[in-house]
Amino acid sequence: MLKYILRRILQMIPVFIGVTILLFILKAPGILPGDPIRMITGEKEISPVLYQTLIEENGLDKPLVQQYFIYLGKLTHGDLGKSYQKDRPVTELFANTYPNTIKLAFAAIVVEILIGVGAGIISAIKQYSFWDVLVTLSTSILVSVPVFWLGMVLQVIFGIEMKKWTGGAFFLPISGMSGDQFPAWVHLILPAVTLASVSTAYAARIMRSQLLEVMGQDYIRTATAKGLRHRSVVFKHALKNALIPVVTFIGLDLGAMMSGAILTETIFNWPGVGLEIYLAIGQRDWPIVIGGVIIVVFAVMIINLLVDISYAFLDPRIRYGGAAE
Amino acid sequence: METLLSVKDLKTYFTTRDGIVKAVDGVSFDLHPSETLGVVGESGSGKSVTAMSIMRLIQGPQGKIEAGSITFRDQDVLAMDEEEVRHLRGDRIAMIFQDPMTSLNPVFRVGDQIAESLIIHKGMNKKESFARAIELLELVGIPKPESRAKDYPHQFSGGMRQRAMIAMALACDPDILIADEPTTALDVTIQAQILELMMELQRRTGSAIIMITHDLGVVADMADRVLVMYAGRPVEFGTADEVFYKPQHPYTWGLLDSLPRHDIDEKGNLCPIQGQPPSLINVPTGCAFNPRCPYAKDRCRTEVPQIRDIEGKHGAACHFAGDVDFFRGCAGVTS
Repeated sequence: MLKYILRRILQMIPVFIGVTILLFILKAPGILPGDPIRMITGEKEISPVLYQTLIEENGLDKPLVQQYFIYLGKLTHGDLGKSYQKDRPVTELFANTYPNTIKLAFAAIVVEILIGVGAGIISAIKQYSFWDVLVTLSTSILVSVPVFWLGMVLQVIFGIEMKKWTGGAFFLPISGMSGDQFPAWVHLILPAVTLASVSTAYAARIMRSQLLEVMGQDYIRTATAKGLRHRSVVFKHALKNALIPVVTFIGLDLGAMMSGAILTETIFNWPGVGLEIYLAIGQRDWPIVIGGVIIVVFAVMIINLLVDISYAFLDPRIRYGGAAE
Repeated sequence: METLLSVKDLKTYFTTRDGIVKAVDGVSFDLHPSETLGVVGESGSGKSVTAMSIMRLIQGPQGKIEAGSITFRDQDVLAMDEEEVRHLRGDRIAMIFQDPMTSLNPVFRVGDQIAESLIIHKGMNKKESFARAIELLELVGIPKPESRAKDYPHQFSGGMRQRAMIAMALACDPDILIADEPTTALDVTIQAQILELMMELQRRTGSAIIMITHDLGVVADMADRVLVMYAGRPVEFGTADEVFYKPQHPYTWGLLDSLPRHDIDEKGNLCPIQGQPPSLINVPTGCAFNPRCPYAKDRCRTEVPQIRDIEGKHGAACHFAGDVDFFRGCAGVTS
C-alpha cells in the first residue's frame, strides 16, 4: 500500500510538468490576445519607460523558455510568483481563498451524501412506490436544471420572497461568507445546495440503480436463504456492494469541486478559487492563473488518490501494490 | 416412516408480459429423515422453483405460490409469517446454490459469511461463531482453515467456494439440505469431490438432502429415491433402482437413452429426445410430453395422465405405465 501511494505521488511530477508547459504556452505571444501590463494600467497611457520597467519587474522581458525554468525553480521552493494586478504573492492569495472553496465543496458533498444517497436507498427499497416516483421524477428534473438558474431562483425564494412573507423573521443569506446577522454555516446553505444539486440527483440515481442491481445478485439470495432479516440483507449485504460506484462518483465530484465552482461562487459572491482564477484569466494575470491551476491540480490529484485508497476498504478485491494472490 | 417434509400438489406460477408461466404445476413428494431425494429434469422443468418454493424464496409480485401445501415437521410452511420463515431458513432447511462464483458476497470474509448464520440462529457471539466457522471449513476439507476463514471469496477457487457454501449450509446442522445443481458450475474432477463430501457429511450429520440436478449420474450415485420432472410436473418417482432399471415413463427412458454409457457399443449413437421442452405458458394439452413422445396415442393428447402407482412406491404419470402389452409393443426402447 505504501509503495502504491509513493508511486502515485511520483506520478504527479510528470503531470505537473505537463500542466505547467501547457499553461506557459498560453503566455506565449499570439496565443491569447491582451497584454498583462496594459491590464495593470488600464485605459491610462503610460510612458514607454514605465512600460519597460513593469515588463522587467514582472520578468516578462526574458524569453518564454527562460521564464519557464525560472518559474520551475521558484516552484520547487513553493514560490508561485506575484500577481501582476494585486501585487501580492499568489500563495498568499490562495491561502485566503482556498479554504473557502474547500468549505463549500465539503458542504456540498455532505448534501450529496445525505440527500442523494439517502433518497437513492429509499427509492430502491420502495421501488415503484410514491417515494420512488417522487425521487425519480425530481432527480430527472434536477439534472437538467442549470446551476446559475437554480442558484438565482433559490436566492429569490429563500432570500427575498421568504423575507417578505415572514416579515423578515425567516430567510437565508444570499451573498458572501459571513455577516452579523447569521452564523457562518448558514451562509453555506444556499451555495452548497446549489453546487450539490446536479450531483445529488446523479448520486441518487446511481445509488438506486446499483442497489436494485445488487439486490438481484445470487449472494443476496444466499443471504436471504441463510435466514437474515430483510433489513440486514439490504443494509449489510447489499449496501456495501452497491456503494462502491457511488463512492467513485462522489469522489470524482469532490475532485471536480476542488477546482472551484465558478458559477456558484459568482452567484453567491463566494470568494473561492474558481472566482479568483476566472477573474485572473480576464485580466491576463498569469501568475494567478498558472499558480491557481497548479494548486487545483495538486488538490484534485490528492483527492483522487484518497478516493482510490478508500476503494480498498470497501472492495477487498482491490489491493494496491501487493503481488497478485 | 416419519415424514420430515411433505409437498402436496404445489403450484408456483409467474406472471409475465406474455402470460402466466406455470413453472411448477402440481408437484407432490415426501421426504424422510436422512434420505436423499434426487430431483431430475431438463432446464425449465421446475426443479429449482420447487426448491425456492420450499424455502419461500419466490420473489413477488411476479412469482406466487398459487396452490398446494408444504409441511415441515407438521408446520405449514406456506402459512408462516416472515419471522417464522426466517427461523426455518438456514437453520432447519439450508440451501446450496448452483454457482459458487456468484453465491458468496464478494465484500465479506468467507469465515464471517459462515459465522453469520450461527450468530442469527444459535445466538453465538462474533468470536465463538468465527471459531466454529473455522471448524466447519476444516470439516469441508479446506486446508489451513484458520487463515482461509479470513480470506475473501475472490481468493477461493470454484471448488473451494462450493465447499465454503456447504460449510455455510451445514453451519446450523439443518434437517434438510437442498442442493440446487451444486456441481453444475464445477469441473468434473471437482464435481466428484464435492459429491463425495456431501455424502460423507450426510453420513455424519444425518441431514436429509434434496439433490436437484439434470445429471442422472449424480442422482445414480447419491439418491435413495428419485423424482423426475417435466414441464413443471412430476412424471415419475420411485427408488433410484426402480427408476434407473425399470423406468416407466417414456421421458425417463429418453433421459436414460441420451446418456453416454461405456458398457454398450462404443460406436453406438446417443439417442437424444427429439424436439424442445414445451413453453410453460402454453403447455401442450393432455400429457405435456406428448409432442415429443414417440409412443403418443390420441388419449395422450387430450387427457392429463395422473401418477399411477406401480409396485407400491414406484409411479409414473403415463397412461400406459405398467401396461405390459404396451411395453411389449415398444420392445427395445429401454435397452
